[in-house]
Amino acid sequence: MTSTWVPYLIVAAGLLFAGIYCLLAMRNLIKLFIGVEIISKAVSLIIVATGFAKKNILVAQSLAVTFIVVEVSLVATALAIIINIYRHTKSLDIRKLSRLKG
Amino acid sequence: MSVQILLLIGLVLFSVAAVLLKDLIKAAICLAAASLVLGILFFRMGAPYAGAFEISVVAGLITVLFMLTIALTKTGGDVAESKLARVAFPLFFILFLAVDVIVTKNLVQKIVALPAAPEAGAFGEVLWKQRTLDLVGQVCIIFAGVLAVLALFRKRSKDNDD
Repeated sequence: MTSTWVPYLIVAAGLLFAGIYCLLAMRNLIKLFIGVEIISKAVSLIIVATGFAKKNILVAQSLAVTFIVVEVSLVATALAIIINIYRHTKSLDIRKLSRLKG
Repeated sequence: MSVQILLLIGLVLFSVAAVLLKDLIKAAICLAAASLVLGILFFRMGAPYAGAFEISVVAGLITVLFMLTIALTKTGGDVAESKLARVAFPLFFILFLAVDVIVTKNLVQKIVALPAAPEAGAFGEVLWKQRTLDLVGQVCIIFAGVLAVLALFRKRSKDNDD
């Protein structure tokens, strides 16, 4: 049982690392959000894979569906905020947001 | 099993490409491809509803939203990324994966696993009867998201406009 679980755990951790690296190193706001999306993929993979390994796939599946709905409303709100930031600063550079004066 | 491993490798490759690619549209398409692969993985794990949601909503709707945002912010979209970060990423990633494989293999054997309890019933029963509060939460979150987008895109009245 654990042997089927291990590759999913390894890949999910790798995706989490890729997403966090993207959040730390990139400067474009949309790129940063792609990092958040990669992290959310890692989370939904680990939810369903754990359900698969523990033979609890139905509960895991319903949790994954809930997570996807949460993710969509997060994406809609965050992209709206990004568009508003772009209208305000005329740029997508995260460094320009460090100034408090608009 | 080998198909699963190939799909997992594809998922990692598409995600890494989404991080590394300079062109935002190509990065968004790579993200959609990663979602597609993840959806196929869900199907193969016996979670068809989650797979259908992943493919239709994440690979479809979210990609469309990304494309719209990229199109709306096209003129200011060129942000100089640090080259060092881009070059160092594959190195760090391979290093992390090596550590990850060793740690996870050793850790999983040491963790006392909870007993697996096979469940019966259909997906609909579990979702509607056991996870009812989750559904209420989902409705609230969708409503909150709609209100947030409306608030962000509202037209300012002349009095408040500075």
